[in-house]
Amino acid sequence: MGGRLLPLPLLPPLLLLPLLLPLLPRAGGAGGTVCGCCAGPLHNGSAVARYCASRADAEPRGRCCVAGGPHPGRIVGLDLSRCSLRSLPPGLPEAAAAVVVDLTENPLTALPNASFLGFTRLQSLAVPLSLECPGGSSAWEQVTTHGSSRLCQGQRNPCNSSGELAQLCPENALCAPDGPGLSQCLCSSPFHGYKCLREGAFPVLLFCGILGAVTAALSLLLWSTQRRKAKAP
Amino acid sequence: MALPGSLGRLPANRALVSHCTHHHITVFLLTFFSYSLLHASRKTFSNVKVSISSQWTPSYLNNTALELQPYELWNSNHLFPNAEEATLFLGTLDTIFLFSYAVGLFVSGIVGDRLNLRWVLSFGMCSSALVVFFFGTLTEWLHFYNKWFYCCLWVVNGLLQSTGWPCVVAVMGNWFGKAGRGFVFGLWSACASVGNILGAFLASCVLKYGYEYAFLVTASVQFAGGVIVFFGLLISPKEVGLPELGTDEEGSAEEDANRPLMDDNDADDDDCNYSIQATDTDNQPKAIGFFQACCLPGVVLYSLAYACLKLVNYSFFFWLPFYLSNNFGWKEAEADQLSIWYDVGGIIGGTIQGLISDVLQKRAPVLAISLLFAVGSLFGYSRSPNSKPINAVIMAITGFFIGGPSNMISSAISADLGRQDLVKGSSEALATVTGIVDGTGSIGAAVGQYLVSLIQENLGWMWVFYFFILMTSSTVLFISPLIVREIRLLLHERYPRMLAG
Repeated sequence: MGGRLLPLPLLPPLLLLPLLLPLLPRAGGAGGTVCGCCAGPLHNGSAVARYCASRADAEPRGRCCVAGGPHPGRIVGLDLSRCSLRSLPPGLPEAAAAVVVDLTENPLTALPNASFLGFTRLQSLAVPLSLECPGGSSAWEQVTTHGSSRLCQGQRNPCNSSGELAQLCPENALCAPDGPGLSQCLCSSPFHGYKCLREGAFPVLLFCGILGAVTAALSLLLWSTQRRKAKAP
Repeated sequence: MALPGSLGRLPANRALVSHCTHHHITVFLLTFFSYSLLHASRKTFSNVKVSISSQWTPSYLNNTALELQPYELWNSNHLFPNAEEATLFLGTLDTIFLFSYAVGLFVSGIVGDRLNLRWVLSFGMCSSALVVFFFGTLTEWLHFYNKWFYCCLWVVNGLLQSTGWPCVVAVMGNWFGKAGRGFVFGLWSACASVGNILGAFLASCVLKYGYEYAFLVTASVQFAGGVIVFFGLLISPKEVGLPELGTDEEGSAEEDANRPLMDDNDADDDDCNYSIQATDTDNQPKAIGFFQACCLPGVVLYSLAYACLKLVNYSFFFWLPFYLSNNFGWKEAEADQLSIWYDVGGIIGGTIQGLISDVLQKRAPVLAISLLFAVGSLFGYSRSPNSKPINAVIMAITGFFIGGPSNMISSAISADLGRQDLVKGSSEALATVTGIVDGTGSIGAAVGQYLVSLIQENLGWMWVFYFFILMTSSTVLFISPLIVREIRLLLHERYPRMLAG
């Protein structure tokens, strides 16, 4: 019991961790499986290869462009063109921090709405011409077509738009972008915890200290004035 | 007004004052705050219901197409699909608590008389604090939400909380004699209301840190209270060698229980009393059995009367804010604040009526008159106009006439019954009798909560008030044999008193 109670002040932040984890950009460990889900290296001259070459701290690994620097192992580019994909690979969320993604020349049939959940840094996404940009064209600054591919560029912030997409967040929470056409509600500053119901941190040590001291003092006082003289029954 | 048996006796109230040592004050305060803390943790539960139900449910959205993201933050808890079902479950927990509390009262009174009252009270406070800690704080920290676990904990909490009332009343009954008991107990009965205010205050102070901290704070304070009680409470004057109430009366012929038990022992009597006390330790007073206690005169009748009266009293506690916001359209917070006036009326009523009953040395006639007025004030309250000041005044008057007698039966009269001549000296009955009276009352209260919601839904508020009037009248009916007996005794007593005076 005592061991469990000891790290009390640590507990609330610890419990928050599982809540906050998905909010952090999902770093794909050392390359992740999504980079190897399709054989071959980055296509020479593709948008991803060009982007990778333009970044000094990034290097290609499999189908990915992986960053070094402050976030080593983070996937910043993903080239899945000509991979015969009928649906998106399950490892796609590993690349949530990607800036450039290429899905062209795949027999993809649809892009589910929440496929790019968490892809907040995505700036350039190439999809087969038969598909719409995820989140609809209103979620992007610019949508262009090049041959057999559709290029979706520059995400719009869904929280700023006054249109139907603007989502009202509950009390104590603020809207934040969560990928193309997607928004999320995050707790605003002093609030935290499930549904952002909690505010600030309970002063555990102060409370325990005062209560303990008062209890000890009162017990001592009452013992000396009352029970000390008591005879055993 | 000299009293029978001894010419030199002081009048009741002067005897009380002259014998009020610092032990009396400490016992008064310790028992007062013990019960306040127990009540505070109950009040906390009702005040954090909104927070708990939102913790137990996913976010409710009228637009199901757009689910709030991230999932873990808004929708990961699925104990109940929506707030309505959570509220229903919380109401069920209230009912479970009331019933297990009622059952516990019958048991813990018996236990209290057999074991040391201080141990039982201290154990009850500390263990129920632990249960509340498990219920509200630990389950939240571990993210362990389970309906059956909550139900089990609340049953145990009801049983443990029930140790409080019989023990504190028994200790108070040991220290404060019959002479001033009505007044002292009337004042002391404010402990429940003070507990409500304390619980509401503590909960509102820390609720922003999360509901688990509201439970943590009330449970910790209650635990600390249990520790202080363990180190500081003297359960009876004989523990410190003070004269036990009524020890010098054993030889004198007594015709009823209505004599002041607090006597004017002088300081030089202490040695003599000490020797009595010393012999007492050899043959420990035997505790009375449950059925023996039921057979004591007045116990069954007062229990039944209290079942009816506590039904009305608790219905006012539970339903008054709802009635006010429902019937007059007042805001819930305002209705909550306004309903305090019922408590205020009850405290004043209990104290003044207790004082009158001390002077008369008869409690039943005072109760009866007060309850007759209560019928009138209930009738008046049911026709109160839509005005807050007028409503508050009538509410306070209703509290005066209903809460007052209710407080008196549960405390002063229970103590009278447990210390009457038939059991005095030979056995311990105080906690058992208090448990029986309050346990029957709590069953009445639990059943009443059901009936009130039923009547209100099907017949409307006016019939709820007719039901209250019926129950108040039944209370008078149950105590009528006692009124007859006490008035006869009152007339009987005149004769020897005239001789003595």
